[in-house]
Amino acid sequence: AETIDATIVAGHPPVFRWVKHASQTFIPTVNKALEGSGHEIKWDEQYGGSLSKVGDELEATEEGLAQIGVISSVFDPAKLSLQNVSYYTPFVSSDVALVSNTINDLHFSNPNMRVTWEENGLEYLGAPSAIDDYLLMTTFPVNSIDDLKGKKIGAPGPAVNWLGGTGAVGVAGNLTTYYNEIKTGVYDGVIVFATAALPGKLHEVAPYITKVGFGAQYAGSLAANKEWFDEQPEEVQKALRAGGEAFRDAYIADLDAASEAALKTLAEQGATITEVDDEFRQKWVAGMDNVAKTWAAQVDGEGKAGTEILKAYMDAIRAAGGKPARDWDQE
Amino acid sequence: MTHGATPEPADGSGWGQRIRATADTISNALNVIGTLLILGLVVLVNADVLGRNLFLAPISGVPEIVSMSIVAIVFLQVSQAFRMGRFTRTDALLNALGSRAPRLRAAVELVYVAAALALVWFLLSASWPLFEKAWQRGTYVGTVGDFTAPEWPVKLVILIGCMALIMQMLIAGAIALWGIVEPKSRGDAR
Amino acid sequence: MSTFEIGLATLGAMIVLVYAGLWVPIALMLCSYVGVWMMKGSPVLAGKLLALSASETISSYFFGVVPLFVLMGFLVSVTGLGRDAYDVANQLFRRLKGGLGVSTVAANAIFAAITGISIASAAVFTRLAVPEMVRHGYTKKFSVGVVAGSSVLGMLIPPSLLLILYGLLTEQSVGDLFLAGVLPGLLLAAIFAGGVVLMAYFWPSFIGENLSDDREHDLSPRDMLAKGLPIALLIALVLGGLYAGFFTPIEAGAVGCLGAIVIGLARRALTWRNFWEVLTDTGLVTASVCFLIIAAQMYSRMLSLSGLPNEFGTFVATADIGFWGVILAYVLLVIVMGTILDSSSIMLILVPLMLPVVVPMGVDLVWFGIVTVIAVEIGLLTPPFGLSVFVIKSTLDDNSISLGEIFRGAAPFAIMMAIVLALVLIFPSIATGLLAR
Ligand code: NA
Ligand code: NA
Repeated sequence: AETIDATIVAGHPPVFRWVKHASQTFIPTVNKALEGSGHEIKWDEQYGGSLSKVGDELEATEEGLAQIGVISSVFDPAKLSLQNVSYYTPFVSSDVALVSNTINDLHFSNPNMRVTWEENGLEYLGAPSAIDDYLLMTTFPVNSIDDLKGKKIGAPGPAVNWLGGTGAVGVAGNLTTYYNEIKTGVYDGVIVFATAALPGKLHEVAPYITKVGFGAQYAGSLAANKEWFDEQPEEVQKALRAGGEAFRDAYIADLDAASEAALKTLAEQGATITEVDDEFRQKWVAGMDNVAKTWAAQVDGEGKAGTEILKAYMDAIRAAGGKPARDWDQE
Repeated sequence: MTHGATPEPADGSGWGQRIRATADTISNALNVIGTLLILGLVVLVNADVLGRNLFLAPISGVPEIVSMSIVAIVFLQVSQAFRMGRFTRTDALLNALGSRAPRLRAAVELVYVAAALALVWFLLSASWPLFEKAWQRGTYVGTVGDFTAPEWPVKLVILIGCMALIMQMLIAGAIALWGIVEPKSRGDAR
Repeated sequence: MSTFEIGLATLGAMIVLVYAGLWVPIALMLCSYVGVWMMKGSPVLAGKLLALSASETISSYFFGVVPLFVLMGFLVSVTGLGRDAYDVANQLFRRLKGGLGVSTVAANAIFAAITGISIASAAVFTRLAVPEMVRHGYTKKFSVGVVAGSSVLGMLIPPSLLLILYGLLTEQSVGDLFLAGVLPGLLLAAIFAGGVVLMAYFWPSFIGENLSDDREHDLSPRDMLAKGLPIALLIALVLGGLYAGFFTPIEAGAVGCLGAIVIGLARRALTWRNFWEVLTDTGLVTASVCFLIIAAQMYSRMLSLSGLPNEFGTFVATADIGFWGVILAYVLLVIVMGTILDSSSIMLILVPLMLPVVVPMGVDLVWFGIVTVIAVEIGLLTPPFGLSVFVIKSTLDDNSISLGEIFRGAAPFAIMMAIVLALVLIFPSIATGLLAR
């Protein structure tokens, strides 16, 4: 049998779900698909920053230091601009599977989505990783939007925009320091998802969890170095794609179960979880700038299909029964 | 003069000295820009802290600016750091050689400088395409709607820093070479 | 040659080159370049590894504060704040033999509550403490050694970037880890202090034969106040702001700089000229330290590609040697890796490997984290790659003390760390005692 060397790189360590499934779902599936094909892949798994830091996996794969990258599009907003559409369209859907599958399907129905990967010398392998519904976790109860006035809320880069118009002060922050920052009072709260809040024990310092409906987000995918991928025999290419599909299903099932369990445990451990009503949500959304339009215009200006993808994404969500709180594309 | 630094150009008007003086002026200038960047960071972070706490108005993009600035600071100052003898090394063996066989010490130094030159050259030539890519694609860091900044300036600074480092290493090589030819007049006081 | 053998060969080559006097960052770059070339058969790919490491390694908010903390230390030194603080300390501890060494440890323990990285502590106290100790008759070797040793407190006493990293890798609460670091940190400081006093009595050739306690310049209470107040104000500003939630540990460096500038101006000790000198010097130290860290990262990535650390880790993880066998082998492996790799690389490589082994054994992961951090931090002091020692060397800018001498000066402190590590291994409650559980 012919042996192919392949290095797979991730900046995150395997405790993160997308790395775990790269190692435990993607690789075994590819290996299984290759059985009896006369080809075999010898894997070199480089996770946790041993070869590349978080956000630098794309470049390591593009340059050929790794053949396959576990790539977080959310950390590469310029290079994978179109893939970030969900972060600029909050309040669209809290259904992880819907958001994840919609973006994945867009890659096959709209060639523009694959072009952004190809421009970076990459081949999209499917395997979308998504993030469960973002929550507001605060040191104080949130009964109305007025409660947020003057409060400092830590948020991942793109989510700072979500706080616009609420009177809260969005501070670009980092998951690793949320606990300490809330504890000392640098932040009065954070925007975070349940499957990260629980292991980070954030409810110890910010026990009020408000399900505002920011929504689930598409966060990245597996991709291969395109030059390398194109050189591979068809069976190997097929096996890699099969691995991507297996990743997609296993990841979503795992995440769905984990986020539900995380919320349950958070509540058991003393967190107060409330879900806002439609009026609250509408007031929040209406107060925001249309950041989706700003984003689309910027991406259009770079010669990419920002407006087109924004519309295609929103249409697909609506067609699948999603109920966006604001039709970002129709203003 | 800092002990261990390559010596300042002596008085005189030889072309060697003039090249040295020019190179050092370039390294000094880069050093000053890097120093101003450090001062800028102090001001920026304090303004962010005060803005956030007193006026509920943090400055957008501080994490991005800080992480790009540190790379720029390092590569702006790296040639000066090399010139001033700030690159870490174990000098026991070299010192022992220097007192017994100055010519041999200079020869070893020349080999080391040649190795260093080759590596920084590899670094420079491999960094060049990264700059081109950032320039052509117009890649940026940050978030649309909040703060964005182009990536190419930092990639350019890496190239400039490597070039300045090569320049100072060439001078160190010339000094080592001179030390082989005429060990007594070597200006290096190590 | 297999990649594993190439990894081993570059390891040997690196050690030889460093001792032969090649600049450490160049030696690391050379081994990475040649190693990747041999493993992947492509000089282009080897070049790319260098270039990507150069642009990525230090490009983070966490590294951005390195110059800020270095500058803060230099400002405290140039404005005379440091000297005053030492006069006060000398007065307080003068009945104690080796008192100034003790106050260096104490000051480092306090500073550790401000900073999250050890290299900041090393840079700050090289400027602050070394000249003062030398002035009072301590040997240079001891003076730099005690600074190198006590700099490790910066990562053990919270806040600590290494504990945050560990928490991320193992899904442990950062709050619990911080709390667990307090007692071992204080214990380490106490053992350092005790060790200094013992050395003053029994090993004067190492610490200094004629330690002056400066009796002729007895400070009046009024003098004590005048000298002690400014630095106390600065510490209060930074620590107070930090724990009042006014700013983050990362921002504390910048706030500390501003505070030192204001105090320096008020005392008329800060002039344009010395301010500019200090700024320039900060840049040079930052550049040499960060360039070294970049080169270390290149080397660590090359080693990862060779599979060497993984093989060793897997060996320890799969050897059938029982609970204490695994723990001791792990600690030993961390210490050995600490001689050649930087702290965070060791942690990123070994912790995920060991986790599946130690979890079924019912190991308390918070305790395991403290054990890991202490073991990793010993590596800051061991040759040939000892980051704290390198920082001191480039900050000191004094060729009369060689790298080897700094390593020798730090050696007793590395041994004292090993003692604390053993104590934490034997008495886990030193780490977990403060946790309410
Ligand atoms: Na600390
Ligand atoms: Na070491």
